[in-house]
Amino acid sequence: MKRLATMAALASIVTASACGGAGQVDGAGPGGIFTTIDGSKQINASAPINPFNPVGSVFAGYNGMELAWPKNDPTDPNVFYPAIARSWTETPDQSQVVIHLQPNARWSDGRPVTSEDVKVSIGLAYTQGGTAYALDPAAAGAAADVRIVDPATVEITQGANKSSMFLSNLLSTVVVPAHVYGRLLPGNFWQTLKVAQYSSGPAADRARASITGLADKVIAFAPKQDVSAGPFVLERVNPGAALLKRNPYFYNNKVIGPDKVKVLNYTGNEQIWNYLISGQLDNAPFTSVPAAVMDRIRQVSGSGVISGYSPVVTSLAFNQAHKPYDNVHVRRALAYLIDRRQVTRIASPEGGTPAVTTSGIHARAAKAWLGGGFDALNPYRLDPAKAAAELKAAGMTRRGGRWALPDGKPWKVEIHVPASFSDWVSAAKSITSQLGDHGIDASVVTTADYTLYLSELAQGKYDIGFWLIGLGPSPYNIYQRIYGQANGWQLFGGRLKHVAPGTEGNWMGGPQTVQAGGARVDPGQLTGDLNFASPARQKQIIGTLAEVTNQQLPVVQLWDYVNTQFVNTSRYTGFPPNDSEALRLSSGVWMQLGMIRKRQA
Amino acid sequence: MTVTVLPEVAGTSRATLRRNFWRGVWRVLRRKPSRMAGVGIVALFALMGAFGPLLYPANLPRDDNALYAPPSLAHPFGTDFEGTDVLALVVTGARYVLLTGLATAFITVALGTAIGLFAGFRRGRWDTALMRLTDLNLAIPGLPLLLVLSTVWKFTSPLEMGLVLGLLGWGGVARAVRSQTLSLRERGFIEAARGLGLPTRHIVGRELLPSMAPYIAMNMLIAVTGAVYAQVGLFFLGVLPFEANNWGVMLNLAVFSGGALTTPAALPYLLAPLLAILLLTLGIVLIVDAMDEIFNPRLREE
Repeated sequence: MKRLATMAALASIVTASACGGAGQVDGAGPGGIFTTIDGSKQINASAPINPFNPVGSVFAGYNGMELAWPKNDPTDPNVFYPAIARSWTETPDQSQVVIHLQPNARWSDGRPVTSEDVKVSIGLAYTQGGTAYALDPAAAGAAADVRIVDPATVEITQGANKSSMFLSNLLSTVVVPAHVYGRLLPGNFWQTLKVAQYSSGPAADRARASITGLADKVIAFAPKQDVSAGPFVLERVNPGAALLKRNPYFYNNKVIGPDKVKVLNYTGNEQIWNYLISGQLDNAPFTSVPAAVMDRIRQVSGSGVISGYSPVVTSLAFNQAHKPYDNVHVRRALAYLIDRRQVTRIASPEGGTPAVTTSGIHARAAKAWLGGGFDALNPYRLDPAKAAAELKAAGMTRRGGRWALPDGKPWKVEIHVPASFSDWVSAAKSITSQLGDHGIDASVVTTADYTLYLSELAQGKYDIGFWLIGLGPSPYNIYQRIYGQANGWQLFGGRLKHVAPGTEGNWMGGPQTVQAGGARVDPGQLTGDLNFASPARQKQIIGTLAEVTNQQLPVVQLWDYVNTQFVNTSRYTGFPPNDSEALRLSSGVWMQLGMIRKRQA
Repeated sequence: MTVTVLPEVAGTSRATLRRNFWRGVWRVLRRKPSRMAGVGIVALFALMGAFGPLLYPANLPRDDNALYAPPSLAHPFGTDFEGTDVLALVVTGARYVLLTGLATAFITVALGTAIGLFAGFRRGRWDTALMRLTDLNLAIPGLPLLLVLSTVWKFTSPLEMGLVLGLLGWGGVARAVRSQTLSLRERGFIEAARGLGLPTRHIVGRELLPSMAPYIAMNMLIAVTGAVYAQVGLFFLGVLPFEANNWGVMLNLAVFSGGALTTPAALPYLLAPLLAILLLTLGIVLIVDAMDEIFNPRLREE
């Protein structure tokens, strides 16, 4: 403990010194130095300045640019703020997208940003894989052809298996300079890509292997210096912080307030809390914060919190291949015994709202998708009497105040969570305590780290585990968390198949078809259909899936996350308001959108 | 006559020796109040381990409206994240910690002593082989190995935890016991025993072992503290299974979930298990101090 405290204190001192040093030595202009953290990664000073490297010193919105930045819309995944792409058009059948680049976009070395840069970036994206850049032309939503129309216009054609996510995936493409990264693609890359996409047999296999074989080379590539099309360019990076200076060639330079940006490193949430309490950060993205720490942060001069929609939901997921969780009455009973309000209060008082019900969707998106249908869902309010009735219906018996399995054996509920997720650990403990109050022996079992947790979960080792759902805004993405690979449905090459529980990552083990509204439906098939269904049909499907989820309870929805952004207005103002569509983007993007100005004395 | 009387004489003298020994112990303990305090502390923890869980219901009561409540008469160390009395958590959590400590100490000392005695007494090839094994044991990086083991082994029982910690920790004891054995085996009383043709078992069990008993006993107590630190540390790192009343888990949750190093709200939740560890260590160290005097003639004469 002492060591931790000392390290945190030392880190603060080092950082404070670095801040002071940067302010004086680097001679930031009147715009000053904006201080923040990157919520998606920690700083690795030895990592290359390369956006394809997961720990590379490229920070989205600052010196890392995408074609466009996604808006935080609860239902529509295809709404974006312009970035390198000034505008775009899509054919009604979503088969073709034409992207028009910013006419004044330039790299930090003064060269213009052209269609060639976009094409090279797409080529590099193919080496890394991904939905829009799958090498199998049968994969849904894959780009099949890239054509340069003119230096500022690119046309991209979708493959035969269409996905409503094509535009969204395409616009999320990271753009890098062709004159720096172009050499990573062999001269015959595009011919090889055609063979990989349109041929079959050994030649196609060789072509695919050749392209995916470039992945490591692309990730390891280390440009000598940063060449950025964003508002900032990397000046230097050390283990404590990265310092970025203004890119004078940024296409919308006049709206950028700060002269420099300092991205501080952190090793855990506690360090971010300390940064916030000491007033060092002008902005910090969502960080899990205990109530007492939040109170301390609020007391800091200029400190404020912006909150808004976050399409993430925490749930308790069942392995229906394991008894007694194959019985819907048991799942319902557990839902009736969990006081979600209390669980949220304990686990995520600042970053979550108790789930109104279980629909598989964040309540805000659910209301938008379902309208009045949302209120018709069973809310599963705390009700021990109903829980007891459900358990009796499942054949469970109560002996000596404890519930036992139908065969008389003791019922031991084990809830699994990764040890590093302290909010989940607290929530799981609260749930086990609540179940204990109602005669169910329950315990929390932690797994050392998240990767191992996911691996053991996929192997079907757990009866019940915590699971993130509702990852919108794309309706397919929302429901594939429940009726996707984890539950046996695999969508590949436009074909959907269902695998048996306990195989190929099917750990939820739900039935392939269920009764809903008087008919049997295949929830996995419906989820797959969300990829290419019309908006009206999507709404209909979501209504059915919400109803199925509410009745069958493959998961119990616990709390909906709230995106909580920390800001300090002592040095800068003009942050986005609550519920802004830009809230989940970095403050670098906010600057690009004309927000964040230096506070006037 | 001789046959019937001698055992009685021997038995009487052993009883007298025992009585004198315990009188000596009592005298040594009384000489410094801190030693009495040490015995008191360890006895308190032993009672907590044995009877602590019986003082509370199986599901500890919670106050939903008193999350991270400050210390009060009702909750001397406040409450945790779900309103459970922190003192109750410390008391009920003592059993796992102590059982692990005892299991570790027993395995460490049993293995270390057996291997050290055998190697030192036999010397030659056995000594070489066993000491290489000991070197291997000493070279094992304990913490990284435990971190890896925790991914495949859940350590749900304190005995499992103690077994692993014991198997990792016997090397030092084996080395020290071997050194002592090598020294003692050249002493006159061992040579006399050998000259009398007494069996090896007798020489090792009755002659060598009692001479090293104080040293072994002190090692055993110190092994308990080492085991407490090791397992609490592993629980703190979050690599071992969750038990709300485990002291290491309490420390973990106080820091990472309650922000105890950032705000005072969760500080009692952090300090209570720390205080328990500190007290337990202190008690053991004070007893070791007393044992040192009991078994060390030079200190006794001072």
